[in-house]
Amino acid sequence: MRQIAIYGKGGIGKSTTTQNLTVGLGEKGKKVMIVGCDPKADSTRLILGGLAQRSVLDTIREEGEEVDLENILKTGVFGIRCVESGGPEPGVGCAGRGIITSINMLEELGAYTEDLDYVFYDVLGDVVCGGFAMPIREGKAQEIYIVASGEMMALYAANNICKGIQKYATSGGTRLGGIICNSRKVDGEKELLEAFAKELGSQLIYFVPRDNVVQRAEINKKTVIDFDPSHIQADAYRGLATAVDENGMFVIPKPMKQERLEEILMEHGILDI
Amino acid sequence: MAINLRRSEAVIREKRLKSVVGYQGTVKDLANKAQSGCLKNAQRGFSQAINCSSGCAQGHLSTILDAAIVNHAPIGCAADVAGANSGFKWGQNIRNWEKRNVKIINTNMTEGATVFGGGKLLREGIREAYRRFSPKAIFVTTSCASGIIGDDVESILREEEEDLGIPVVPVFCEGFRSQIWATGFDAAFHALLTRIVKPPEKKRPELVNVINFTASAREYVKEIFGELGLVPQFGIPYSTIDQISRMSEAGATISICGTLGGYFGNGLEQKFGVPYVTALQPHGISGIDNWLRNLGKVLGKEKEVEEYLAEQKIITQPELDEIKSKLKGKRVVVGMGPSFSHNYIRLLEDFGMEVVWGLAWHFDSKHDHGGLPHCTMELTKKERDIPISVSDQQNHEVLNLLNKIRPDIYIGRHPGLSVWATKMGIPTIMISDEYSAFGYKGTIDFGYRIIDALTNNSLARNLSKRIKLPYTDWWFEQQPFEFLEDEELKKNAASS
Repeated sequence: MRQIAIYGKGGIGKSTTTQNLTVGLGEKGKKVMIVGCDPKADSTRLILGGLAQRSVLDTIREEGEEVDLENILKTGVFGIRCVESGGPEPGVGCAGRGIITSINMLEELGAYTEDLDYVFYDVLGDVVCGGFAMPIREGKAQEIYIVASGEMMALYAANNICKGIQKYATSGGTRLGGIICNSRKVDGEKELLEAFAKELGSQLIYFVPRDNVVQRAEINKKTVIDFDPSHIQADAYRGLATAVDENGMFVIPKPMKQERLEEILMEHGILDI
Repeated sequence: MAINLRRSEAVIREKRLKSVVGYQGTVKDLANKAQSGCLKNAQRGFSQAINCSSGCAQGHLSTILDAAIVNHAPIGCAADVAGANSGFKWGQNIRNWEKRNVKIINTNMTEGATVFGGGKLLREGIREAYRRFSPKAIFVTTSCASGIIGDDVESILREEEEDLGIPVVPVFCEGFRSQIWATGFDAAFHALLTRIVKPPEKKRPELVNVINFTASAREYVKEIFGELGLVPQFGIPYSTIDQISRMSEAGATISICGTLGGYFGNGLEQKFGVPYVTALQPHGISGIDNWLRNLGKVLGKEKEVEEYLAEQKIITQPELDEIKSKLKGKRVVVGMGPSFSHNYIRLLEDFGMEVVWGLAWHFDSKHDHGGLPHCTMELTKKERDIPISVSDQQNHEVLNLLNKIRPDIYIGRHPGLSVWATKMGIPTIMISDEYSAFGYKGTIDFGYRIIDALTNNSLARNLSKRIKLPYTDWWFEQQPFEFLEDEELKKNAASS
């Protein structure tokens, strides 16, 4: 079983990318589970055809600690199993602790069955506290992919996340598998991301082009492969799935200093405008 | 720095009073460093049994007769309520009251509360405290858990206060805020100063706020103050919310303990113009002399004070001489909170004893009035420079030290440590009553108590024969301050 955590700046398209990627793996016959680690609980909407799922924390809140796995684990397209950690209402309590609670609960309930090929953790924005680092602590996700784009703030966030990975990479066994570019059609984006990933000691594992079909599929509560299997964008996600499935490059990232990050941005002409 | 009463939280002692918990050296060196602003806290590479400040905050407020406490915390944080309760009952016992328990409710924060927020539990706790105890005020003590998850305690309390119509007051005493447990006293007094004490309706110049713990010597204090034309009003324990709310009417405030009363005394002076009398503690002859003289100065009773003191000196001189002759040269180690420790060192030295080591559980570089604590200053005037250390009751350090020094007697104020000195075969006195050695009568009684403990040492002797100490031989071969990471100490050791 490969356990994979997906990180990246808020709004970069982590959940969209993760769901399209897992459907690509599902189509290949892989057995996949997605664990949504975002209090908004919107990591599995495209797999389940809507926000039909009750989160682990909602269930604990309403029914107490005696939770049945079948109440929180739903199966969607291509047999992909979906769990949402959920969280407290905005501005109250501790969402980070909530993730720790719900992942522990999933382990106790036996959600991680032997037949699974992949478990994906879709984690909220930045690694803001210990709770959001839970998926990459010892015994959990061994691989991490960061979703980024050629926009400056996305790269700042990615670099910052690498600092978190570095910490757990030295104590546990977690490694960076690569950067996934979710294109914003920024000038020189692919080259910039390649240079950025190289500087981290990693790779740009895949470049996902920008296409409006992704949004159209989302409105219909579907992933692209499910919505329009013959579309060129569906092939792009199949390509991403293959790249992840066949990936053999796992490194401890070397996060860079602010100055170096800005140099790379300058080199690739992003500040030309 | 003036006390900031506009904030809802008291500033911690480390920042406000430049307090430390790690030091070893001599009293003159400590005073010098504190006054020149270069006293640094020495960290410990190993430490044990550290207390958090919520005990002092909660323990003190829970002795207010018509108030209730809601401890917004996991249930483990309420473990020290047992200790607070036994202390509260002792105070009721000496008043011949029918005994009851402290009125404390814990909100029992569980994992769920830390995830979803503890607001609901807190409201339930406050309602339950109101229903069960019909208090005149409710104090809500916070905890590490409620602090880390950022429960909006203040908003919730404001809403509950509107509904209930009594003060519902936050007391911010999260354990991680300060390493110094006495910060909890400040948190409690901050809550009283900001929310309970009202502006005076009428001034009562003869009234003196006496800040203390159980007030065991009430009658004796009343008698002394009576001779000076003054009336003591004891607090905070065993007072009512109404009495505390009118403490602004008094002519002055004085405290039995500088560590305890400084925040409240200076706060009353700052906010309501009630002068705070800074002085030595009234333990031992020079202590009571200074305490009463400074009180007399503030309230224009110098003549009455001098008459009283002169009379007492004549009455007590023969007994004091006898005590001194019996105690002369006896070697003693003192272990107490900072104010008690440095005051008792003086009193024991005045008895003619040799204080071979003084331990204080923390040290404030200054008090809220602005200067070095009086008791420390007084010790620097003595010819002999007394060896001292500061540790938050690190038993491994103290036992190692006692083993090397082997004093004739150990005098402490906290049971958790005093019992170990006894187990080492060292006769021990534990002063749980803050009025031990108070005034002329108390000083003489205390002198006899030391003589008794030295004479009848069979408990310590017999106990030590039957006890195996929990430390290895290796540890007793080390220097007592091996784990104190004091740069200067290391430098000196390297150069010698």
